[in-house]
This record gives sequence, C-alpha cells and structure tokens, in this order.
Amino acid sequence: MFHYDFMQHAFLAGTFVAIMCGSLGVFVIARGLSFIAHTFSHIGFSGAAFSMYMGIDPLNGMLLFTCSSALIIGRLGIRIFRTDIVTSVVLSIFLGLGLLFLSLSSKQANAISSLLFGTVLGISTGDVIKIAILSTVVLGVLVLGYKMLSFDSFDPIGSQAAGLPIRFISVGFLLLLSIATAEAVQIVGALLVFTLMTIPAAIAQRLTQSIARMIVLSSLIALAGIWAGLILGFYTNAPVSFFITAVEGIMYFITLGWSVWRGQRLVRKRQLDLL
Amino acid sequence: MQDISLTVSPGEFLGIIGPNGAGKSTLLKALLGIVPIKSGNIAFQGTDHLVPGSSMLGYSPQLRQIDDETPLRAWDFVSFGLPHRFRPWLTKQDRQNIREAMRVTDSERFADKAIGKLSGGERQRLFIAQALVRNPQILLLDEPTSNLDPGAQENLAAVVYSINQKLGITVLLVSHDVNLIAKYAHRILYITNGQYALGTVKEVLQSDVLTRLYGAPVEVLHVGSKIIVLTSATKSLDTSICLHDSCEQGVVDDVSL
Repeated sequence: MFHYDFMQHAFLAGTFVAIMCGSLGVFVIARGLSFIAHTFSHIGFSGAAFSMYMGIDPLNGMLLFTCSSALIIGRLGIRIFRTDIVTSVVLSIFLGLGLLFLSLSSKQANAISSLLFGTVLGISTGDVIKIAILSTVVLGVLVLGYKMLSFDSFDPIGSQAAGLPIRFISVGFLLLLSIATAEAVQIVGALLVFTLMTIPAAIAQRLTQSIARMIVLSSLIALAGIWAGLILGFYTNAPVSFFITAVEGIMYFITLGWSVWRGQRLVRKRQLDLL
Repeated sequence: MQDISLTVSPGEFLGIIGPNGAGKSTLLKALLGIVPIKSGNIAFQGTDHLVPGSSMLGYSPQLRQIDDETPLRAWDFVSFGLPHRFRPWLTKQDRQNIREAMRVTDSERFADKAIGKLSGGERQRLFIAQALVRNPQILLLDEPTSNLDPGAQENLAAVVYSINQKLGITVLLVSHDVNLIAKYAHRILYITNGQYALGTVKEVLQSDVLTRLYGAPVEVLHVGSKIIVLTSATKSLDTSICLHDSCEQGVVDDVSL
C-alpha cells in the first residue's frame, strides 16, 4: 500500500489534518461553533469552485474565501452567525455560488464530487507540503494561545472579566478554523467536514474532563478514523470519506452508549446508597 | 454613581450592599478598569491607576453561567485564573498555587470532577479559587451568594471570611443579604439612588441613615440576631417580610428592594 505515492501523500496529509482538526474540534464544540465550521466548509467549496473557474489551485481559493469570511464574521460579531437562519442563508448562498462557478468552468461532474466528498487519494506532493505548513502554523498558534483560548471557550464571562482580549481571540480562532476547514475539505469534502471537526472532539469529551487529554484523545480519534478510512478505501472500491465517516460515527455511538450506561449505573448506585 | 469617595485598608472586609441597579457591580468594574470612570481617580497603593487584568486583583463576576454538560474538570477551571497567558503548560509553582487556592476554598475534594456536575455552592467556591490562584491582594466578589440556599450562602460567606482572616486578603463583597454582610464585614458600603453610606454595621444600618439614602421612610429592625430593612417598597407590598426562600424555614433575611 505504501509503495504508491498517492497513498503516502494521503497518509501524510491525513495525519496533519487529523491532528489539527481533532485539536481545534475541542474548542469548536466548547464555543458552540459546529455549524459555523460546517458553513465554512460550504464557503470553502465555493472558493474551490471559483479557483477552478479561474484556473488556480483549489486550496488557495478555499483559503481566500474561508479566511475572508472569518474576518467578516469577526468584524460583524459571531453572535449574528450563531442563529440558525443566518447560518442556513449563508450556507445556501455559497453552495449556490459554488455550483455557479463549477457550471462556468469546464470541469464539472468529477470536480463537484471531489469537492463535496473529498479527494484524499488525489493529493499531490505540493498539496502535502502546503497542508503540512498550514497545519504546523495552526497548531503552533493553538499552543501559544491555548491558555487564553481555553479560558475564553469554557468560561467566556470569566475571561472577559479577567481582561483577556476576547475580540482578538474570537477572530483569531475563526481564522484558524477557516484554514483548518479549507484543509479538511480536501480530505473528507465540504459535506463531511463535521466528521473531522466535531465527532472526534464529541467522543473525547465523553471520555475525559481534562482539556489537554481531550485534545490528545480527539486528535487520536480523528487520526484513527482517517487511517482506517484510507486502509479500507485502498482494499475496497468504496470511497475513503465514507469509511472515515463510518468509523468516526461508530466510535461516537459506542462512546455515547457506554456513557449513557455508565450514567444509569451511577444513578442506580446512588439510589441504592440512599436506601 | 457619583461623588463617591472611599478608602479601603489592606486586609479589610468591605461589604457592598444596595438594591438592584444601584451601581454595586459597576463600582467593582470601575475598580477593575472594565468600566471607565468619567471623573476622579482610583488609587492603589500609591499608584494613580489600576491596570485591567492586573494580578493584584482577583475578581469573580456576577451571573456566571456554566452549562450542566460542560465537560471541564474543576482543576482546569481554576487554572484559567493563572496570570501567564502564552505558556500552555503548568509549572510546579502553578500547580502549588492551584492546590492552595482550592484548599482555602475547600474545593480540593472535587478537583477532578466536571464543573457542570457540581452544585451551585461548589461552583462558587471554584469561581473564588480561580480569582485567588493569581495570589491577589484584593478580592472582588460580585454576588457570590446569589441563587444559593441559605446553608450554602452561610458556608460560602464563611469561606470568604476565612480567606480574609487567614490570608490577609482585602475583600470587597457585593451582596443583597444584609445579614450575611453584617456578620462578616468590617465595614458596609450601602448604595442606593446614587447616594451612599459608609461605615460599620452599627453606623450604617440605622433607620435615619437609610431613610436619608432612600429619600423615603426606612425602618431597620432587629429580630433576634437578624436585621430587617423595611423600605417603603416592601411596606407597600404589605406581605410581611417573606421575600426570601429562607422565610419558609423560619429565618428572616434582608428584604430591602
């Protein structure tokens, strides 16, 4: 399997994206930004379609669109974009725009499929280098801002009272999220960004209450999903994105079931103690 | 608030009390530099200003809502209060500070529990521990006892008093509860209608002082060990004085509105 360049590229890019999305996902959930991440993926789809129309690298187009959107959202205030209606309107507009750009360009059916569902097996050496650099930058900023971001994500009133630059943190995080989303779209596609951005973190927070452990677990779970997806995708004809989503989904439901069972057992134990 | 002049001594426990909207929280925010003052100055140990976010101040704001599903352990929550901002790891000294802050607030026993699963009183202890972890000289607490049952209020006030007495930290505590403040505070700052009265419990909680403040008749009654402040608003309700949950348990608390 590793004799093929495309598999080496896929594993390398997938590893970087998994660690980045797994880490950011913990804060995406804590800040209640799951749907904004999903909206970013549709904005990224539109950006990639635009770059195909213009004949430039799709990743550059995605980054241009998602980062600009992050700055606009940061400028207008994140609260406006937390409402369902605004999110769905923005999401629809950019999906429509993406389709328009694709219809104007010559590459249609294949391009739509790869943008919506990922092109992990078609990643070039150049893409891997770009993804590695961007992921390292995102993770580096995350490490430096870990303390402030954790405080603001889990205790926004306290962080504001402590004099933290909350506006700066909010815009900065949106920018990191926009870069991560643009990268994740390449692996799992615009429609399945949730798979990497929220499911691993959602599983991790059911297993631990320590932020540091949550980040490590979430990254490992994202990594497990991508590696399993790549291996299964290689030996079968089914798409890699399907396997990644399926593995992450199964892990989530197993954890959810275990968590519910444990909760019920604790309640029963307390009732017995009271008797 | 205007024309307020106040000096707080090191190690003092100052209770700030008054009706809703009187400016109690605004006063604390002004001290922190979150709310700018239009004129005058705030001096701290010879300096003519305070730096917002200064580690000399520990602050626990009002209305801090933590979702029950928040998957965050108490230890991490307290660590947020440490002064450094760009170092992601904890040093030995940081851990020592967290342990000490949790010890003095009696919250060590639930250090590894998720904050969302803790009771209101336990969460308030963590809020105070977070404010304490940076070793402040002044602790500003904005209504830490609100939404707690009488027993938890009493326990929390005792913790705050112990911090003030044992660590020598100056405490400015905002509360609606006259009796809680009267029990522990060295002095009271009573704010209402843009006016204020400052002094010991005996000096401030007098009918004539509060009548002047409110601009309407106020009676201060002493029932056993409890103090009852009857304003015209409470009188007009004519529903005796049961405006607190504690009344159901036969304990009469402050009823000033």
